[in-house]
Amino acid sequence: MAKLKLEVNGESLGVEAAETALLLDALREGLGLTGTKRGCETSHCGACTVLLGGVAVHSCVVLAARCEGKEITTVEGLSRDGELNELQRLFLKHGALQCGYCTPGMLMAATALLRRNPKPSLEEIKVGLDGNLCRCTGYTGIFEAIQACALSGK
Amino acid sequence: MGNLKVKQPSYSSIGKSAPRIEGEKKVSGAALYTADHLLPGTVWGKVLRSPYAHARIKRLDTERAKAHPGVLAVLTAADIPAVLTGRRLRDMPMLARERARFIGEKIAVVAAADRNVAEEAGQLIEVDYEELTPVFDPLAAITEGAPELHECLAEYQGLPQIGTRLKNTYSHEEWLLGDVERGFRESDHVFEDRFATQHVHQSYLEPHSSLVSIEPDSGIIHVWVSNKVPYNTKNSLADAVGVPPEKIVIHVSAIGGDFGGKGALMDLPLCYFLAQRLNRPVRMIMTYTEELTAANPRHAAQILVKTGLKKDGRIIARQIKVYWNGGAYGAMKPIPTVNLPGAVKAAGSYFIPNVRVDSYAIYTNSVPCGHFRSPGLVQLAFAGESQIDMIAEALKMDPLHLRLRNALKDGDPTVDQKGMVEVQCKEVLEAAAAVTKWKHFKKPAQVGRGMALSYRHVGLGDANARMSVKPDGRISILTTYADTGTGAHTILCQMVAEVLDVPFNQVGLEVGTTDTFRSESGTGASRVTFVLGQAVLKAAAKLKSLLCERAAAMLGVSSDQVILKNGRLRVDQDSARSLSLAELARAATDKSFQLEVESYHAEHETPPEGVFAACVAEVHVDVATGQVTLRKLDTVHDVATVLNPVGHQGQIDGGIMQGVGYVLMEELAMEDGRVTTANFGEYKIPNIQDTPLLKTTLVHSREGASPFQSKEIGESAISQVAPAIANAIYDAVGVRVKDLPITAEKVYRALKERRAENQRPSSK
Repeated sequence: MAKLKLEVNGESLGVEAAETALLLDALREGLGLTGTKRGCETSHCGACTVLLGGVAVHSCVVLAARCEGKEITTVEGLSRDGELNELQRLFLKHGALQCGYCTPGMLMAATALLRRNPKPSLEEIKVGLDGNLCRCTGYTGIFEAIQACALSGK
Repeated sequence: MGNLKVKQPSYSSIGKSAPRIEGEKKVSGAALYTADHLLPGTVWGKVLRSPYAHARIKRLDTERAKAHPGVLAVLTAADIPAVLTGRRLRDMPMLARERARFIGEKIAVVAAADRNVAEEAGQLIEVDYEELTPVFDPLAAITEGAPELHECLAEYQGLPQIGTRLKNTYSHEEWLLGDVERGFRESDHVFEDRFATQHVHQSYLEPHSSLVSIEPDSGIIHVWVSNKVPYNTKNSLADAVGVPPEKIVIHVSAIGGDFGGKGALMDLPLCYFLAQRLNRPVRMIMTYTEELTAANPRHAAQILVKTGLKKDGRIIARQIKVYWNGGAYGAMKPIPTVNLPGAVKAAGSYFIPNVRVDSYAIYTNSVPCGHFRSPGLVQLAFAGESQIDMIAEALKMDPLHLRLRNALKDGDPTVDQKGMVEVQCKEVLEAAAAVTKWKHFKKPAQVGRGMALSYRHVGLGDANARMSVKPDGRISILTTYADTGTGAHTILCQMVAEVLDVPFNQVGLEVGTTDTFRSESGTGASRVTFVLGQAVLKAAAKLKSLLCERAAAMLGVSSDQVILKNGRLRVDQDSARSLSLAELARAATDKSFQLEVESYHAEHETPPEGVFAACVAEVHVDVATGQVTLRKLDTVHDVATVLNPVGHQGQIDGGIMQGVGYVLMEELAMEDGRVTTANFGEYKIPNIQDTPLLKTTLVHSREGASPFQSKEIGESAISQVAPAIANAIYDAVGVRVKDLPITAEKVYRALKERRAENQRPSSK
């Protein structure tokens, strides 16, 4: 076991983890940040997506020890003072979620996309969210929410 | 979204796209799914599974595994009761005892604080197997020479009564109307075709998870489990592990997708045995490979369809025989007949005077199958609706006309209804033709269009609801039905807001544990809005009279003079005298009276309504590679009142895309019983790039059997997708693929065969 220091959602947090521990496990089991979901664990479904240095990564295939000193953002870091951000609000409004299990990962992937490309085309949204599966919505609401967020400019 | 014939009455909350009530938790990461409940001291359980499809277990040695550092316990069948489990048919051991019947069957379970240690230790268990002859094809399994998979079948609890029993067959349902033999004799044309469908996984993203924690003093067993039927699960668990059901409390958690797949016990009994032995909380979470190889996917099927018609295109006889590949156990199926409910609609959305359907559920040495969105109908609609197009071509008819010629209408009998009501079959077909300009479509090369039709019904069952006014005046619904993501809980709040005339945000909903009520059906079969909705409406009516009564006493009038309007209780014609719900709630606390009611509702007979859906798909087929591109999909739905438009559309879009995956890409491919598509890299479900242009058209009728004249939508959006796309592929390039999925390879092969045939010198 090693004592890691992770910068999560603007806070510096200590976590006990094995050297081989994955970021997903360090966040969920070590820090109790269960918003990041355990899905396929083979980097196909994207339910575990977080931002690492502003880039969307599948936390089920990233070693926690390699994340020290890098800024990590999870779904818990999206709301500010208990207020949902624009993207979260638009996900609700456009029916971009049903069971909600893919939602944290989907939000993080969309956040990364909008940060690097604030006005993505439909095609760019498709490419940007290509690593995140949703079985409930048929993706229609997700497109709509991201497009609406891009238009709002927030 | 287009609207035809809109006739919705005006409501204040119903018909509005109220945001889902648990949505804020879901977008902020606060919603707690089973695996998110972290209890101190919890250890992991992992199972060892059989690598053989059919084998005798000759020797099991757990010594090396037990000695592995960090291992806390290892259990095999010898350590647990010899009880068989199942939702209806109890035929499945919790751990294989002497015999394994599919690749992936559980042999042993290991507990360790570290998940990897538990998994490694499983590999140290020594098992000597003697391979037995397996059988994988249901049609082979019913032949005399096939191995008998369940010698003690007759002794199984929950075995349905059936007539002649084919070999390895645990359920046979037959549905009859008229005299099908006579129908064929009187037919001018008879068509017989055979279709095959594949195993597919529900692909909810949350894998099956279980957590068990036992209170040391009371022995109360606390359970968190990704399961949508808490009472059935509580009772099944009690029977499986030999404890009284009163000792078990199921904490209904958020469920990360269901689609019919989250109703069986899965690892729960093993989780209990480990927790009981170790006096520590134990959790088990299936890996996705375990999900894809050993959960409860949609049945593969072999389907024979025989259809007889008169010269004028009237269908007068239809016979369907379906052989479901049930896999090694029937334990996962929730209905008493242990069959698939879609079989009842095998003849399609047509008036046919003579019908016979035989539906056989058959044991094989493959993964046990369960329910998946519109179980049975998805497979049978592919067969039946593909054949309708084949017949139309043979008779040189427009497939639209052949469908319209035979479409069900009001009063028509079917195998299960004496006379259908509010039938919108022609209407959805005509709307589909109109919005897609069906008759005027100019077909570019290698592009084609296909149409298909299907209908469904609501589900039966029972439900409880408790309702109270909180001290702050908010109305609270207490239910133990899980919302698997459909938005059902939000709709219940809308209903209550509507009938009590309070603002939507003044109604809340809590999900209780199984200690709340005695029993109820639980989520599934498109029953929640229909059955639980009515329980909630009954409770709301009771609460309304209670509130008026109490307010009347406080205001010094009779209760029929009090009305509940805009969240206030007022004296009719005297608006100055009124009470808020909060004031009434405070009085209730001060004078200790209860503002709480409870109700129960049960539905035993399927209403004679159908919920019809038509679909027109447009595809492009690359003749060089066989690759199919879905360009556009138009879907038309028969609705009455739409309770929540955004939620309703979500059910349609989600159902459609599952249908797209089913027809074009998804397959639990098997080689000798081994699933070879064992991760989401190999098992392809639609991702965001696969979404075509989706267009929905709603056809409104006046009446629906569900609350506020609404109709089912959760399961009626999927079944027509596969045949519409199959028919479009035929229209594009003239190849008919009769076994799913329709991959590029199959289309390519069929194109090549056709070219070879065309080049062969004519024998005439």
